Order: sequence, then C-alpha cells, then structure tokens
Amino acid sequence: MNQTAAETQSHAGAFTPAAFAAHLATQPAAPSWWLERKRAAHGRFLDLPMPRRTDESWRFSNIAGLGLDSRESGAQAPRKARPAPALAATAALAFIDNRLERRGRLSPELARRGVVVTSLAEAAITHGEMLREHFMAQAQRLGSAKFAALHASFVGDGAFIHVPRGVELSEPIVIVHTGSGSPLFPHTLVVAAENSRVTVVDMFLPPGGGGALPLAVGANDLYAAHGASIAYAAVQDWPRETLSFQLNSTVVRRDARVQSLNVHLGARQARHESLSQLQAPGAFSEMLAVTAADGSQEFDQRTLQVHQAPNTKSDLLYKNALQDGARTIFSGLIIVDPDAQKTDAYQSNRNLMLSDDAEANSLPGLEIQANDVRCTHGATTSRIDPEQEFYLRSRGIDATRTSQLLVFGFFEEVLNRLENEDVHAALREMISAKFRDRG
Amino acid sequence: MSLLEINDLHVAIGEKPIVRGVTLAIRSGEVHAVMGPNGAGKSTLAKAVAGHPDYAITGGDVLLDGRSILDMEPDERARAGLFLAFQYPSEIPGVSIANFLRAALQARLGDGEELDASAYYRRLYEKMDMLKIDRKFTSRSVNDGFSGGEKKRCEILQMAMIEPKFALMDETDSGLDIDALKIVAEGAERLRGPGLGMLLITHYQRLLNYIVPDFVHVMHEGRIVKSGDKSLALELDAKGYDWVKKDLVPA
Amino acid sequence: MSDEPQTIALGPTAADNPAAGIDQSSGNFSYDMKYEFDAGSGLNERTVEYISSVKKEAAWLREFRLNALKTFQAKPLPTHWATRDLENINFDKIRYYLSSGQKPKRTWDEVPEDIKRTFERLGIPEQERKFLAGVEAQFDSEAAYSNIKETVAKQGVIFVNSTEALREHPEIFRKWFGKVIPTSDNKFSALNSAVFSGGSFIYVPPGIKVSHPLQAYFRINAENFGQFERTLIIVDEGSEVTYMEGCTAPKFSTATLHSAVVELVALKGAKIQYITVQNWANNVFNLVTKRGLAHEEAEIKWIDCNIGSRLTMKYPGVVLKGRKSRGEVLSIALANDGQHQDTGAKMVHAADETSSNIIAKSISVGQGRSTYRGVVHIPRHLKGCKNNTECDALLINTNSRTDTYPAITVRGDRHAVQHEASVSKVSEEQIFYMKQRGLTEGQAMSLSVNGFINDLARQFPMEYSVELKRLIDLEMEGSVG
Repeated sequence: MNQTAAETQSHAGAFTPAAFAAHLATQPAAPSWWLERKRAAHGRFLDLPMPRRTDESWRFSNIAGLGLDSRESGAQAPRKARPAPALAATAALAFIDNRLERRGRLSPELARRGVVVTSLAEAAITHGEMLREHFMAQAQRLGSAKFAALHASFVGDGAFIHVPRGVELSEPIVIVHTGSGSPLFPHTLVVAAENSRVTVVDMFLPPGGGGALPLAVGANDLYAAHGASIAYAAVQDWPRETLSFQLNSTVVRRDARVQSLNVHLGARQARHESLSQLQAPGAFSEMLAVTAADGSQEFDQRTLQVHQAPNTKSDLLYKNALQDGARTIFSGLIIVDPDAQKTDAYQSNRNLMLSDDAEANSLPGLEIQANDVRCTHGATTSRIDPEQEFYLRSRGIDATRTSQLLVFGFFEEVLNRLENEDVHAALREMISAKFRDRG
Repeated sequence: MSLLEINDLHVAIGEKPIVRGVTLAIRSGEVHAVMGPNGAGKSTLAKAVAGHPDYAITGGDVLLDGRSILDMEPDERARAGLFLAFQYPSEIPGVSIANFLRAALQARLGDGEELDASAYYRRLYEKMDMLKIDRKFTSRSVNDGFSGGEKKRCEILQMAMIEPKFALMDETDSGLDIDALKIVAEGAERLRGPGLGMLLITHYQRLLNYIVPDFVHVMHEGRIVKSGDKSLALELDAKGYDWVKKDLVPA
Repeated sequence: MSDEPQTIALGPTAADNPAAGIDQSSGNFSYDMKYEFDAGSGLNERTVEYISSVKKEAAWLREFRLNALKTFQAKPLPTHWATRDLENINFDKIRYYLSSGQKPKRTWDEVPEDIKRTFERLGIPEQERKFLAGVEAQFDSEAAYSNIKETVAKQGVIFVNSTEALREHPEIFRKWFGKVIPTSDNKFSALNSAVFSGGSFIYVPPGIKVSHPLQAYFRINAENFGQFERTLIIVDEGSEVTYMEGCTAPKFSTATLHSAVVELVALKGAKIQYITVQNWANNVFNLVTKRGLAHEEAEIKWIDCNIGSRLTMKYPGVVLKGRKSRGEVLSIALANDGQHQDTGAKMVHAADETSSNIIAKSISVGQGRSTYRGVVHIPRHLKGCKNNTECDALLINTNSRTDTYPAITVRGDRHAVQHEASVSKVSEEQIFYMKQRGLTEGQAMSLSVNGFINDLARQFPMEYSVELKRLIDLEMEGSVG
C-alpha cells in the first residue's frame, strides 16, 4: 500500500487527480470536447512511467533531475529581472500564470481579413474545429509522452494564431509568457493557411522581481499549409532553478516552409524536443538552435526530421557554447521513408567547449530507406581556435572579451538565418544580457 | 619617442631552438627590414615578440621603453603599442570587421569611457577608402572568404585604425600579385611616420621598393649575420641567399 | 536430446535472389565426418565441464568457464537496441564443441587426407608457400593444422591455439586473458568465455617486427554448430605484427552461430594491425566482440570487411590507455538481400594526447540493411585528444536501407572531435559517362562502387583486395535491372 502510494507520487508528483480536479474547476467556460481531451490526457499522464536511464530516448539525460513535485529544490539567489526587448509587432499577447493578461491590439484591417491572434480559451469556442484538428495532434515520438500529457491536461491558456489564405504579415506576433511561481504550461499554436506568411516570437521570461519558478512544461504546434511560410523564434530564459520542457511539433505541407529558431538561456535542466514532418513535395523545414550553457545547467535537445514525401528538404543547425560545468545532449535523427526519393536532409551539431568541466554529448542519427537522396549529418566538438584567439588578443582585446566575441561569432551563423532584422537584434541582445550577467 | 629592444633573444618551438640570439633595436620613426632564407627564424621572431603561445622564450629579453614585455599577455603587449601583421591572418566567421575593430579600440579606452560611434565610423571609412576597401566590407566577417590580397589589406586597415607604436609585419607581401602588392605596400608606407617603428619581414626586395628601409638585417639559422642600409637589400637580391650561407656565416 | 535440425524460414535470401551472387561455391560443401569428441546439443554446466576436461584444462580455467556460463544465462538479449532477429537464435539446438580429437599438426604432410582436402579446396597450401609466416587452421573448433615457420619461431614469437597457450604459456597469456574484454561485457562475450575453443594466441617479444602477416582460417562444418574461437594477441614494447583473419562456411537451412572474442594488447610503442574479411554464408549469426588496449605511444588498427552472414554485430574498439596512443577502425560493409551488417567502432580515450580515427563505408544492395553504431568517449581532465569519424553509406537500390547511430561524449575544452556522415546513391551522371565509353551498366556500377570504397580497400593486403573487388563485381552485376 505504501509502495503504491509512493509510486503514484513519483509518477504524478504534485499533479494528482485532486490537483487536476482543482484545475478543471478553473475552466468553467471550456467546451466539453476540450475537457474530455484534458481528462484523457491526465489519464495518460498517470499511466505512463517516468523516463528510465535505459530508455534510448533519455540516454545521457539526468533522469534524477526530472521530479514533478512543484516545490522548489533548495534556495536560489534571485536573478536580476532582465527586461524583454521591445519589438515592433503586428500583435502581442502576454500570459501570466497561464492566463492571458494583456493583449496588444490587432489592426482592424487584419482582423477584417480574418487574422486571429487570441487565447486558446477563446479559440476553443470560436475556432473549435481548427483546434480539434491541430492542437497537440501529432504523436510524441521523442520520449516526452508523459510530459506532453501533463501539458495537455494542465494547460490553462495559450496562444492561438491563425493566418488565413494569402495573408502576409510583415511584422511579428510577439508572445510573452511569465509567472509568479506556480508551474507554467505555455502553449502556442500557429495555423498558417495556404500561401500565408507569419512570424511569431515566443518569449519565456522569468517572474518579475526575481522570483522562483520550479516547473515549466511548454508546447508548440506549427502547421504550414500549402505554400505557407512560418518563421518561429523562441527564447527560453526561465530562472536558474526551473525544470523546463519545450515540446515542438511542426507539420509542413506542399511547397511550404517553416523556420524555427530556439534560443536556450535559462533553467537548471531544460529538455527541448522538436519534430518536423515533411509531408508533401516541396516542403522545407529549417530547425535552428543556439544554446549558451553555464554553471551546472543541462540542455537536452532531441530532434527528429521525418521525410514522408519525395522532394522535401530539412536543414538543422544546433550550436551549443558550454562554460563552467554545463552539460548538453544533442540527439538528432533523420528518417527518410522508402518513398521519399529526392530528399535533401542535413543536420549539424556544433559544440564549443569553453571550460575543462563542460560536457557535450552528440548522437546524430540517420535511418534512410530511400536511395535517391542527399543526407549528411555532422557533429563537431572543439574549443576556441587558438589561432583565432591569438589574433584577437594581438589586437589588444582581453581574454574575456575575446571569448565573448568568438562565442558570438559562433552563434551568428545561426542567427544570420533570420530574415527579420529586428528579431535578430532582439535575440542577440538577450544572449548578450546572459553573458553580461556573468560579469 | 619610443624604443623596442630585442636583446639576445632565444626562441624555441617545443624542444627545437629556432631563434638563437637576436639583438635588434627599433626607434620610433625607423623602418627595419629583416630578410633571410626560409627557416631562418624571421616569422618566429615576430610571433614570439607578439607573445604567440606556441613559442617558448629560452633566453634573452624584449623591452618596450625600458620595460620587459615577456611577462605580459599578448593583449597587454598589444595595448602597450605592439602590432603584428600576420602572414596568414585568421578568419573569424560571425565577427564583423566593424565590431572587431570597435572592440580593439574600445579595449584601449579607460573604464567608463565609450568609443564615439560616429567618429569611429568616419575614421573607419576614411581608412577603408584609402586602402580601396569597399565600405560594405564593414559588415563582412573578418577575413572570411577573403582573397590573399584582401586579407593583407585588412591587416593594414587594422594597423591604420589601431595606430600602434611598433608594427611587426610578417611577410606582408607573400602571396600577392603586383597590383595587390602595390595597394598594400602603399597603404603601409602611408602609415609611416615619426610615431611608428616598423619591422618588415620579407623574403623579397620588391616590397622594399615601396617602403624603403632605414636598416636591413639578414637572418640565417636563427641569428642576424649581417646588418646594413638599404643597399644591403639590393646586394642580397643580386647575389641570392647562397651568398649569405657561404660568405656571411662565420666558419 | 533431440538431434533434429530445426528449419527456419528465412525470407528472401541471397540464394533466392540472383542479385546476391556471393561466390559461395568455394565454401559450399561439407564432409561426412566422424567426430571423436561430441558434446551434444544445448548448453549447460555439463557441456562446459566436458569441454574443459577434453582439453585437460587447469582448474582456474574450468572455474572461469563455469562462471561465464552463469553470466551468459543471467544476461538478456540486447534487443532493446539491437535487432530482434537475435531472438531467432535457438541456443538449445546448437552444438558447442566438436572436434576430430586430433592434436595440432606440425607439417602439412601429417594432416589426415579428408581434412587436407577441405583446406586444399580453400587454397591454404598455396598461400602458405607464397607469403605467410605461419598458418593456424581451425577445423570444427580444434586446430587440425598448425605450422609456425622457422623464422617466426626463431624470433621468439609464440603462435598457438588457445588451449595450448593457456596450458603451456600461462605466465604470458593468463595476465591479459579476459582483461581487455571481461566475461560480463555482453551476453555473447560471456557465451564465448564459457565455451571457447580454438582461435589464435600470439605473443611477440620486445623489439620484433614480424615480417609476414600471420593468418588463420576457420570453418564451420556441421549442422547447428557454433564457432567460438578466442584470440589474444600480445605485442611487447616496440614490436609490430599484422594478423589476418578470413573465413568461409557452407550454407545450411538452420541458423549457425559464430561468437568470437578477440583481445589485443599493444604495449609501449607497439603496433598491431588486425585484418578481417568476413564472408560467412547467409544463415550465420556473426556476433563478435573485438577490443584492443593501447599503451603509451602504441597503435592498434582494425581493418574490417563484412560481406556475408545473415546478421553481423561487431564493433571493434580501442581503449587508449597510454599517452599518445592511437586507435583506428577502417570498415567496409556490404549488405545484400537477407543481410544485416550492424557494425561500427568504439573509441574510449583514457589518456592525454590520444587520437582515434574511424572510417566506415557501407553499401546496401537490394533489401540489404547496413547499420553503423559508434561510441566515442573522452572523459574529464584529459587534454589534447582528437577523434575523427567519417561514415558514408551508398544505397544501390530504391529499397536498400542504412542507419547511423553514433554517440559522442566529450568533456573539457582541450579536444577536437569531428563526426561526419553522408548517404547517397551512385551518381547517374557517372554511370552514363562510363556507359558512353562502352561499359555495361553492371561494369559501370561496380567501378563506381569500387571507387567509393577505394581508399579503404587499398589498405587491405593485396590478395584480399582482389577478392574484395571480385565479390563486389558479382554483387553489382546481380543488382542491376
């Protein structure tokens, strides 16, 4: 009897059926199909076991750090609140403690054309069909099925963005997520209809005043219909003691293109899963990430590029810079189905080691069943090139600044892929702030 | 007026001695040329003075204005006024020329002082124009994808912006065709003046047609075997390095 | 116990598909032999004790085997990452020890006629005359023929089978036996440790460069018979040796298991090169554990070519224990219908300034499947280590398959590690160009494929690289159209 209770405790942590019931009580206006989905998700969450050391999809991860008790683990030093950079935006949403608190006005013109930037709660009512079809509709293949279920059951509110056929938005939609200490479940769902264009920026920011945040389980779904184009950028800047999950799923249809760029700065242990499905000819998915790891942070990135149709392309570039005793894990798999001839798939993981105690793990993988393809993957782990270092030092630039310049240079290759200069500058500024905080 | 003194310097790579006792003094305003066959130790001399980590000083000293610089880090030596124009300049992807030079200049300012951005860019464009470098290059990554000539011009641009006291130019003319050499050499010559001491390391006489040296030193097997004025360079050019090996090395 | 052979449907095999024309004729025969010692089918303590008594082994070795048996029985099959085809191995139906009871022979003339015939067909005498320093030939797990040429013996080189080595020279071999690959390393190293027989034990004294490559042959010649040879090569300071291993086997309708263990020890400044061309018939499960231990400034190089078998699982590895030691794995794999080559490399860096290099090229034809698995590990507090890995896969037909699963762990900021992999098909332009010059499609394909592996094939001794080319030609002819 004791053991069962203990097992349930480790399987559910603070997210027991009682806690779930309390959560449901906060969603009185939700349609019944939505509540049904949540109930099913919570059931799955309770049934699924926690990851084990022997699970291939959790190889090298710090399993011990995955506890779901929402209490903080130890005292932390409050971090200075870093202000979110200002960005000219088409529309803006701000979520605090899983509730939509502020909404930047969408122009009447765009609203008239059918652009929707709203909360999931509203969308469940006004765009129920679209939500039913796209909200967490893809299978979890990268190992976090239990956490995805947790997210689906406890998600309070999130962002829903729909850009109708042929509409092109020149300025980004900016979403900010933060909280005051209770677990967060941010969600962003982007549905871009045929030939539309949109840029979305998600910022995950620490609570104001330097408060703590024990757990954040976020997810995003990106769906690009025929000919659509989505540029998605996310900056994870949670406080130092947060356990963070970011589960991404991207579906790319015919001749569509999705670019997603993830910047990882915060959390004590962050798991990021990114799945791209290239479902029709002409589809292109660009998966980018930049991680600045220090202290004893662990960044665990698992990706999957699945080519399901001929003439599709994917290109992944993940760069990690590691200082102090930080750890990173990159596990990336490219799967090419037997019918996906003329696939172009690329994957590159680059680790820059800046200290003797840092650890980088790379598991680049390929499962190729079509032969008329071009697939390459590469992983490089190295230190700062001593020749480059000497070159900068010989110009009078001191050791710390030299290191910073070279790390920024290292990241630039990824950031340069952004088309929107303002977003590029904003991301660069947030990365700089982390380096400045180190002193 | 500044003085750079290299006193009986011995430099090794690992266990292998390369420079075996070189003594040389350069005053502000002077141009010294160091010539010699491959393997003489010319580049090693320059890199060791600049503080390259691969080279070990096994004897002797280097003094800048009377103070030994051997215990100084490479960036400290640079801020003290030393500049090395590399034979093979590094490519630094992702770091733009503008940002790079900005950092180099900012490093020389005191705490709290900020570089004046518009003055900086004015100067930068002025120097770029002088060196016939397209102004768009400010946003290019340092030396990334540059031709040999472009890289060498970039070195001179940096020298022009940083305004060192002493410039050690390591085979600045190597790998350049006639036209590229002209631009680079004329650019360097334009920087010559009473505030700058230059050490030109070169294999060939032709650079010295543009930058006429005050002193010429011939190095062979790690030592200076003969010194003279600019006519020594011409004699060397006429007689070749075999003359050095046969006649100048003490039996 | 039941002696009935079990028939397993194996699906499309190389025999049914003319595309897989591996030249099996040279190995596709068997003799009706009377075996003097027979341990029966199935594996239990009695089988192990039987093997040990037949070989008249010392008590410590019997103990070693029995402990290994327990470990084997306790460990599960590694199907959580490896292919489930492993479940088709029926351990109870395999014969673990079989021998004609003959002691190793000194000269060729002393070998019994029927055994001689087997080896003559395999061409051993010719090669012995021409190039080799010595041949240790294994026939159904007991060395039926051994001959160490005088020069090698005079150099103080010891080259005997495992039984003789552990009995006559324990002071040399016991020290390293089971140390490079402990019994518990994996289920199949445990199996081998329990029932091993035959294989080559070699010791090269300090300062000797063995002039000719040493070589051994293997054969499996009975139904349900598994080969469990054990090889241990110790090369003392400053010495060098090359060892070549090549094998053929007849084809049966029941599964055959080959589970070898190869341990290499290179002491300070020593060099070992171990070359394997594996061409087992398509019903063989070939599960081999190979590892080398390199001391200071030593070098171990595995050159591995896998063309045959139903399933090969082999990940040659080097533990770089001494400063400035070097490890290298060069691997070529060819997988045709009904074949799965699951190969790779393991490099464990355990000292400063060590370097490792892995080059793996694979070709998948028809429904063949080739898999690369690699591990590169550089732990804390080391400096100056380097690793370079390159794996390239060539897929010939539309439904050929390749997988790549490397795992690279690097700690610290004083190392340089690089891994690259690519997958492609033969360039159509290249084929058209060659056809325009008069070559048939098959000839063009085989030239292309040979070009793909050329860099690696060049590293094999000549007689092997010729055989390799010939095998690939046959594969390519069948694959076209």
